[in-house]
Amino acid sequence: MRVVPSICSFCGVGCGIGLRVEDGRVIGVEPQPGHPVSQGQLCAKGWASSFAIDAHGRLTQPLIKEHGQFRPASWDEALERVAEGLRNAQDERGPGGVGVISCARASNEDNYAAQKFARAVLGSNNIDHCARICHSPSVAGLSRTLGSGAMSNSIADIDQAELILVVGADVTENHAMIGARMLRAQARGATLIVIDPRRTRLARLADIHLQLRLGSNIALLNALLKIILERGWENTAFLAERCEDIAPLRAHLAELSLAQCSEQCGIAVAELERVAYLFSQVKTAFTAYGMGITQFQSGTNNVIALSNLVLLCGQIGRPGTGINPLRGQNNVQGACDMGCLPNVYPGYQAVADPAVRARFSTAWGRAVPEAPGLTSLGMMHAAQQGELRALLIMGEDPLQTDPDQNQVARAFAALDLLVVVELSLTATARQADVLLPAAAFAEKDGTFTNCERRVQRIRQAIAPPGLARGDWQILGELARRMDYAGMAWRDAEAVFDEMAALTPIFSAMNYPALDAHHGLQWPCDSAHPQGSPILHQQGFPIGRARLLPLSQVEVAELPDAEYPFAFTTQRLHFHYGCGSMTRKSPLLERETPAGLLFIHPEDAAELGLAQHQGVRVRSRRGVLETRIEYHDDLPRGTLSMPYHFSEAPCNRLTNDAQDPISKMPELKACAVALEALAPGQAPDIHMGTSEVSHARL
Amino acid sequence: MIDSTPRRLHLLEQYEDGEDSRHFSLRIEQPAASDLAAKAGQFFMLTLPGVGEAPFTYVSLPDAQGCFTALVRRAGRLTQALFDQPAGSVLGYRGPFGHGWPLFFNAQPLLVVAGGCGLAPLAGVIEQASRQAMPARLSVIYGARHSGAQVLGRERARWQQTLPFIETFDQAAPGQRQGTPLLHLDEVFAAGPPAALLCCGPEPLMRASAEACLQRGLRADRIWLSLERRMHCADGLCGHCYLGSSYVCQDGPTYRYDRYLQLLGRSSPISQAPPALFC
Amino acid sequence: MHAYSLDRPERLRAHLAAQRRLYEVRPDCQGGQHWQTVSSQDRHAFEPSSELPPFSAKSFFFGERELLFRFDGGQFYSALPQVVPQVLFGLHACDLQAVAYQDQFFAQDAHYQARRQATLLVGLDCLHSCNGGFCSVLGSGPAVQAQTADLILLPPAEAGADWGLLAASAAGQQALHGLDLASAHADWPAQRQANEARVRAEQGSQEDIIEGIARLNLQAIDDSTWEALGLRCLGCSGCTSVCPTCSCFAPLDRAEGQGGALRERVWDSCLYQGFQQEASGHNPSATAGQRVQRFWTHKFGEDFRQRFDSYGCVGCGRCDRVCPGSIGVHGVMHKVVQP
Repeated sequence: MRVVPSICSFCGVGCGIGLRVEDGRVIGVEPQPGHPVSQGQLCAKGWASSFAIDAHGRLTQPLIKEHGQFRPASWDEALERVAEGLRNAQDERGPGGVGVISCARASNEDNYAAQKFARAVLGSNNIDHCARICHSPSVAGLSRTLGSGAMSNSIADIDQAELILVVGADVTENHAMIGARMLRAQARGATLIVIDPRRTRLARLADIHLQLRLGSNIALLNALLKIILERGWENTAFLAERCEDIAPLRAHLAELSLAQCSEQCGIAVAELERVAYLFSQVKTAFTAYGMGITQFQSGTNNVIALSNLVLLCGQIGRPGTGINPLRGQNNVQGACDMGCLPNVYPGYQAVADPAVRARFSTAWGRAVPEAPGLTSLGMMHAAQQGELRALLIMGEDPLQTDPDQNQVARAFAALDLLVVVELSLTATARQADVLLPAAAFAEKDGTFTNCERRVQRIRQAIAPPGLARGDWQILGELARRMDYAGMAWRDAEAVFDEMAALTPIFSAMNYPALDAHHGLQWPCDSAHPQGSPILHQQGFPIGRARLLPLSQVEVAELPDAEYPFAFTTQRLHFHYGCGSMTRKSPLLERETPAGLLFIHPEDAAELGLAQHQGVRVRSRRGVLETRIEYHDDLPRGTLSMPYHFSEAPCNRLTNDAQDPISKMPELKACAVALEALAPGQAPDIHMGTSEVSHARL
Repeated sequence: MIDSTPRRLHLLEQYEDGEDSRHFSLRIEQPAASDLAAKAGQFFMLTLPGVGEAPFTYVSLPDAQGCFTALVRRAGRLTQALFDQPAGSVLGYRGPFGHGWPLFFNAQPLLVVAGGCGLAPLAGVIEQASRQAMPARLSVIYGARHSGAQVLGRERARWQQTLPFIETFDQAAPGQRQGTPLLHLDEVFAAGPPAALLCCGPEPLMRASAEACLQRGLRADRIWLSLERRMHCADGLCGHCYLGSSYVCQDGPTYRYDRYLQLLGRSSPISQAPPALFC
Repeated sequence: MHAYSLDRPERLRAHLAAQRRLYEVRPDCQGGQHWQTVSSQDRHAFEPSSELPPFSAKSFFFGERELLFRFDGGQFYSALPQVVPQVLFGLHACDLQAVAYQDQFFAQDAHYQARRQATLLVGLDCLHSCNGGFCSVLGSGPAVQAQTADLILLPPAEAGADWGLLAASAAGQQALHGLDLASAHADWPAQRQANEARVRAEQGSQEDIIEGIARLNLQAIDDSTWEALGLRCLGCSGCTSVCPTCSCFAPLDRAEGQGGALRERVWDSCLYQGFQQEASGHNPSATAGQRVQRFWTHKFGEDFRQRFDSYGCVGCGRCDRVCPGSIGVHGVMHKVVQP
């Protein structure tokens, strides 16, 4: 038995774990006592890590599809096939004909390699990952108002906050160690306020819960801003010193009616006044938000509205304050930081900046592309139109997790070559022409970056199963076959060092320094050799912060006679993403039926639906069958589904109406109709998939 | 020492026996003396290799060749996979486990109340009474949601020839008795108050039946229930089947009602069970 | 019980490590501490922390993932762990009490016993209370009870002085064979008593614990209190994983190769909603409050105490540290005493 310190691979919190290794196998995990984030605790997913890592069900060798069937292949053959397919697509359509979708679960080293492969080897900025569907509005919104889209403060700041405001985030379930810390802060006297259309566990425990109408964030936040300005509760010194003129905002709010805002969000004025007072008058307020802010067609504006509130009260730039997006995937921060976005290089250096391009061209020894790249949804559209011919996907499962699956399936079907690098046979992996086995986090060295910008070391505890390899190794080998020698790294540390040398915000980071400090928070450079727990203490990256006037934007699809229920999506404490890791645990898998629809008990009673009865759910985009579960978390008239289960893929229903700025699809709200199945009739898990499978044939 | 490795069990045949239920004929390879000493109301663990293991009750007890039958209701992945097994499949067997029904009755009237597939654990007792292999006189009240949901069709046809056997339905067809078994207790008590109640079905039904018999003068120590619990090891170790400080796999699944109440009262509240009386 | 004087505990450690695979709690590079193998050549000083490691000795005997059998498509084959003789060096009294508790519970369990019987236990008296421990209140520490260990190390009150060493079992006595040891000073029982008094004073009266146990057994805690606690239970399984006496497990069946299969048992937690869920959907412990109540009843209930002759809680306080909902033992007992 030995214990290898690492970082939990399940979410953006980045808890410290020890992998308990016996006979070359991870048989369990334990929390790292004294870890600055998790403080010796873990959530259900973290404790169940050993099952997710298990070699059982893992891909152990490259597979090539022939006549609709996978057959084993050598690395040589598989990579040659991939190289040839990529070259053909480039020949046919130029650099725009190929694309890479990287992975918010893979390490920084893997992600750095992915964007370098796209840019230096394929000559394309078609590189993206799933931040598009969780926090791209945070990046877009906070870039406009502050100049940086990351958490402004650290998780430890919760300990110093007098007030904690949580908006659209189910923190105890999805970022459990942050939720736990908030509850401890409340126990020592902090005020906990939750704004959420669902009565989550944290909402039930909070001092104040504002159960707003689904999709009315801006109306609610505008009401708070209006009250604060009318009462003169704003932080005038902060506004004067740190922000641009708020006259436009003031003028805009003056025209709004408080009564109307209150009606739009469904919260009484007195409640709004109470929250406005508390938030503006406490010394330190820590604001956290999740996908209940971002996953709307108004996602960017929602982020800006929340930023307005924080800035108006000066609750940023000091310990115990800040605006803090709670990121979903364990390394979604890192995937963004590494430049796996079509418009930026590592460290958010703009592709549009000729000086940046020149720097990377020189360092990489290849002319890098100037043409802007496509987002992952853009790549899906381009594939359907025949413009994108070959796609390489690293460890993501867009067929299950992206909005409007039928479109994704059609896009895959239209490709000449789909390459998937994966741990196991996910829905997306099944569609691959070439499937390459990847090493999991316990099988490689590297780093993950958590949501508070903390870059932390993961360490190899066991060997990868069979022939599986790390993503950066696979890409390096592929690059060599495509006549590029610049990715033949010795080890993960060499990848990191190359990245740090090219990226100012990481310039003072290296593995020994990360080992010594439980990781370091960027920016970490010569001015901040110990990293930066708190951003924006002196100034903002854009100089003065901006408060921007906004109006409430209704969700794109409201319930009507045909589709009478509002529909939203959520996550469960016991599952993570598409479930490909958590569902391997017999304990977590036992917790919930495979797929379910939450409904208010009174709505169920009205429809005569028994607990766990089968139902058919239909939206304008798709249909599926699942079982209902009573839940009074939801207001009446609103239904919710978790998105972890391929048996009931709720994103077949969700709306792909997009935020015009960040292209974030409106996953959090659409309209559906509900139809009962006969009592005792089991849901047909294949219902509604016909189009998906036909698309491939 | 406990050996939790299954022994080989052969699937001889299976047939439909009620909605979502099938009747399995099975044979233990090289039955041990303990297999042949199994008692009605005890249970065994059935393994489908690579899929899982679950407890089932004996409908007929192992004979000298190790052959016995069991009723399996489709409830999940394991039972579905079991339904898909062809005759001749090799399965795994551990057992017998737990305590069966008390069989020390004299020629006294006995009442059996069963709900849904709760008839299966009582089949051995009813069968013995039906063959007059035991002195007690037995009356049965069997409740089901509707006639399609009834199980043990072949056995019931036989029992109905030899025993007072009342069948009740939640959704009765014309000519059938409507309502839960409780509505028909008075009829049985009028014919002669039973000396004991043996009851198996959903827990709310068992509790309601027990309370109804208590009200009619039966003592709590003359009432036995057979509990369903999630069971994995059947050795009293894995912890899932707890009832207060007792483990159902070892001390049960049959409990005397007074003991059952004591266990519930001492360490766990009566759960807010769903209102359904039949599984 | 023979009492010896020991100049350096490292000498005993090297002696034992030459015979068996020896484990000792050592710090890692990230601020944690774990049971790690130590060779007979190891030069590190034996400097036990007064803080407990995150994991007790439980997993040495009750494996986190234990293979039960394999099936080759035709036959079933039992699997028992192959364990080389091993020694756990420096176990605190509470963790030893937990091993004794599990020895009773798993007395007939072949896998547990295969691991347990290959193991020599070297206990270590505590000079000071660990942070959050309350062994003195439950009678599980701080002095190692003779029947729970093979050898007992008595640290000196002053650094540099000789250690005491008690041979608490025949196996312990035998393991000392070949080691040159002097007899102990006569005052070692008095020293143990002084240590015990010091730790007891450091741990204080622990009124919430005592009152909470009483209220629990009087069934004086209402459902709403349990449900309020249940709302704070995330079902993470942390408490049951680190609890040195928790023993629940679940099967994990897997198909393997051509028609083959295997079954492991893996640690389970009674705090999971699905722990008692039956195939029919009925759940005897459907609410989080019921499950929290069950857990603490198992630890402090009188029925269980009578069966095992001790509480299922040994006062190590690990659940307090790992519980994200702040409902470890002190959190719960405080809330049931002052709801």
